[in-house]
Formats: sequence, C-alpha cells, structure tokens
Amino acid sequence: MTLSSAVGANMNEEDLEDVGNVESKTETTAPATANLDLRPTGANQQMPPEDRESLDAPVVFDVEGLSVFYGDFMAVEDVDLGIHEHEITALIGPSGCGKSTFLRCLNRMNDLIPSARVEGGVAYHGIDLYGDKVDPVEVRRRIGMVFQKPNPFPKSIYDNVAFGPRVLGYKGNMDDLVEESLRKAALWDEVKDKMDELGMAISGGQQQRLCIARAIATSPDVLLMDEPCSALDPIATLKIEELMLALKEEYTIVIVTHNMQQAGRVSDRTAFFSVDVDTKGQRTGHLVEYDWTDKLFTAPSERETEDYITGRFG
Amino acid sequence: MTDIRSHFHQELESLEHVLLGVADRAESMVKMAVDSFTSGDLELADRVIEADDEIDQTYLDVHNRWMHMMARQQPMGSDLRMMSVLLHMNITLERMGDQCVNIATMANATEGLPRVDVIADELREMSDLVRAMLRTGIEAVIRRDGDEARLLPAMDEPVDRLNRNMYQEVVKSGPDPERLEWATKAMLVSRALERVGDQVVDIGEQLAFLLTGEMAEFDEAGIGHANAPSD
Repeated sequence: MTLSSAVGANMNEEDLEDVGNVESKTETTAPATANLDLRPTGANQQMPPEDRESLDAPVVFDVEGLSVFYGDFMAVEDVDLGIHEHEITALIGPSGCGKSTFLRCLNRMNDLIPSARVEGGVAYHGIDLYGDKVDPVEVRRRIGMVFQKPNPFPKSIYDNVAFGPRVLGYKGNMDDLVEESLRKAALWDEVKDKMDELGMAISGGQQQRLCIARAIATSPDVLLMDEPCSALDPIATLKIEELMLALKEEYTIVIVTHNMQQAGRVSDRTAFFSVDVDTKGQRTGHLVEYDWTDKLFTAPSERETEDYITGRFG
Repeated sequence: MTDIRSHFHQELESLEHVLLGVADRAESMVKMAVDSFTSGDLELADRVIEADDEIDQTYLDVHNRWMHMMARQQPMGSDLRMMSVLLHMNITLERMGDQCVNIATMANATEGLPRVDVIADELREMSDLVRAMLRTGIEAVIRRDGDEARLLPAMDEPVDRLNRNMYQEVVKSGPDPERLEWATKAMLVSRALERVGDQVVDIGEQLAFLLTGEMAEFDEAGIGHANAPSD
C-alpha cells in the first residue's frame, strides 16, 4: 500500500480542474434509477416491510457486462449488478473469485495496475465511470476505500484525517472537520486527548476506524471496504460492523469479506462470486447469485450458493 | 456499558415486542371467544376468527424474521436462548389463537340452543382465570421475572380442576337434548381453555429457561424439573 493509492492522497490542483466534468455530467444526465429495475432476481416477497422499502432505493452503481483482464488473462467475467444507495452490499466467495478485483473496479483502483483493463460498463449515478472525461482522482474522492490492513499515514492522528481535505484545499474550520470525521468513525472519544500522537501508535481496530475517518473527511458518497476486519480481533471487528451499520445512513457501502457471518451481520444484499478453472489452470471469477442477504442465506436460488454457504465446496 | 451489537439487540427487542403484542391480543380473544359462546353473540365469534387470521399472518412474518436473524446474526449466550424462546412463543401463541377459534366455532355450532347458566358461569370463570394467567405471563416476560413465572402452575390449577369437573355439570344438564347438546359443546370450550392455560405455563417455562439457561418443566409449585414429572 503506497500513499499515492490511498484516498485523495494523490490529488493536486490540476486534477481538481476535472472535478467540474463529473459534476456537470451529474446535473445533465437523467437519473439512471428511474426506469431501471435492478432488483436482485427472486427478491423475497415475504420479507419484512422495513426491507421491502429499500427495494426501490436508487441505484448508485449500475454494472453491466463487466469483465476485467490482467493482460490476456480474464480475472472476472461478465458481471451484472446494481448497488443501491444507503445499503451495505457484501461481496463473498472463495479465494480467486474476483470479488476484490470487482470492488476495485468501482473506484478505478485497477487503473493503478498497468496491465489491467475492463470491458463492459460501470455507471455511477448514470455516468460512465470509465468515460474519457472522468477524473480518476475525483472518482476516488467520491468513492473512498478502506483496506484490509489498517494503513494510517506516518503522521499524527489529526494530520491523518486532515490530509485529504488539505490537499483538496478545504477552506472551512479544519479542527471541526477532523472532530466530526472522528466522531462519525466512532473514534473521537478514544483519541481526542492524543491528536498529536502517531496514527500508527493506536490499536489495530482504532487504526482501522482512523482510516474510515480519513475516508469520510473528504465527504465521499460511497465507501468501499476490502476485508476491513480481517486483521482485527473479534471485538474490534464487531465495533467496525456496528460503525458500518451507522454509516450506511449517510453513505453507500460495498464490502468484500471472507467472513460469511460478517456479510450476514452487516449487509442488506449479498453477491456470491465463484471461480472457474480452465484447462490451463487459469482462474476466472464470475457472479453466481445476487440477492437480499436474508434470502441468500436462508434459501438461495442457486445450488452453487447453497453448497458454499453450507460448507460443501472444494 | 457499550453495546457493540446494538443493531442486533434492537432487532431482538423488536421481535419480542411483536410477540408480546400477540399475547396481548390473545388475551382479549379469549374473552371475546368465551363471551360469544356464553351469550350466543355470533358477531363476536366472527371477530375472533378475523383476529386469528391476523395472528396467523404475524406468525408467518415472525417465522421469516426469525429465520433471517438466525442465518445472519449467529446469536450466542442469552441472545441464543432468547431466539429459542421467541420461536417457541411464536408457535405457542399461534396455537392459542387456534384455541380461541375452536371456541368461536362452538359459538356458531350452538346457535339457538338453550344455555345452561351454571356451565356458562364456570366457563366465564375459567376465562377470567386464564386471562389473569396470560397477564401474569406477559408481565413476567416484560420484567424478566422468573418468580412471577413460577406462579403460573398454581394459577393453572383451578383451571384444570374446573375442566376436570365440567363433565359432571354436563351430565347434570340433561335430559333435555338441546341443553345437553349445548353442554357437550361447552365441554369442548372448557377443554380449549384448559389448553390455553397450559400454553401460558409453557411460556413461563420458556422465560425460566431464558433466565437460567436450564430447560425444565414446572411442577405445580413452579419448580423446574429437567426430567418431566411422570404424571
């Protein structure tokens, strides 16, 4: 993990000039959600009423026919998926199924890998995320990312949070913004008396919440989380999960997790990816099933999903 | 103390709240059902049947929510016990609704028949006793009060006694065949009320399990026995 791939870290003034492109497009493009039915197939008609309301939550990402290549090798094949506003969407599946690769497509993190190439479309609020005029840096400000291993900058707790806004030329009261971000990340009470200490001096769970505060500080719309708890103990894990449930009121969250139970605890919808191995031993991931988490974990539509969640795989 | 699983715990509370609402409903249904039988008010009987349709729908909803919570939350400790209690209560309350429908059905089946006042009084007494049990059970669950739950077998005792003696009243109500027919149906009402009483005791046992972690059947004194008493 380098500084330059962290949220907002490699922004400069030139990059910001492109911000307007994204915004003007936002205004002139009709909402993609109006006539799109991106409900997962087989949405459970018997789900409780509070879940039914979110059937119609607007779509943030409309992914169509997305394939990802590393050179000639196809890592993920032909994914269709709609990710809905203010929901937590979990991506699960065995190693090599392409779930992390897919996640990185949602904020163009794969751009940083020279051989990576995508086919198909990712529409973000109706805008082609891979369009020529779209600035990947602005994309990453709006679509923040939290990684598997907590990766605070080698700076103070305060500066970790203030870094992104400073680079973006934030003009407001920085102390207030830092406090607000840390509060939203449920970390403020634990660090308010040691803002000058190094971000790496706090516990792993606190570091991860610091990274979430850092992502929030640049006012994103979406948070992508790539196995955010796999380096944490169970208590710190549950704290992050509770935090995610609070944050979804304000943000749309997509999480990759190896931990099926975690997907169950936090997500509204779950996408199950699996992997095919061809005769040359090449592994290509694909989406098997996407549905409400309630449905997918109690009565999945696909046999492959059933086998995976009941431990009958391999 | 911070609750790092507060969202799940809110879901648990909400499910419990739904079931306590059903128990509340069941209490008023017992009264409506028995009144419809003893007074011959068939409109009241219809309302019982409608209310039971709602309970049946809630039963299905709770079952679905329960399944989803179980699949997603991996409850442990007292949360796991609570999940077990909620599933058990859901089934018990649904059957309680069915018993009320049985009584309302008897009201319909005895239309125009002459009533036997002694029996009607005894049924109303049983109804009052069973409803007091239900109130006690609900209060005990709300307050997590095991001692109160242990009162339920003693409260059930007069219900059982009235039910056991009901056949004597039926025999006495003859020889007029119409009175006898009404009285025979009254015995089924009495039997339904006796079942509701037992169901409330079941809920008390579930509460004791929630509080102690030990599943046991109450004896008459409300003492739990892990091996069911032989009678």
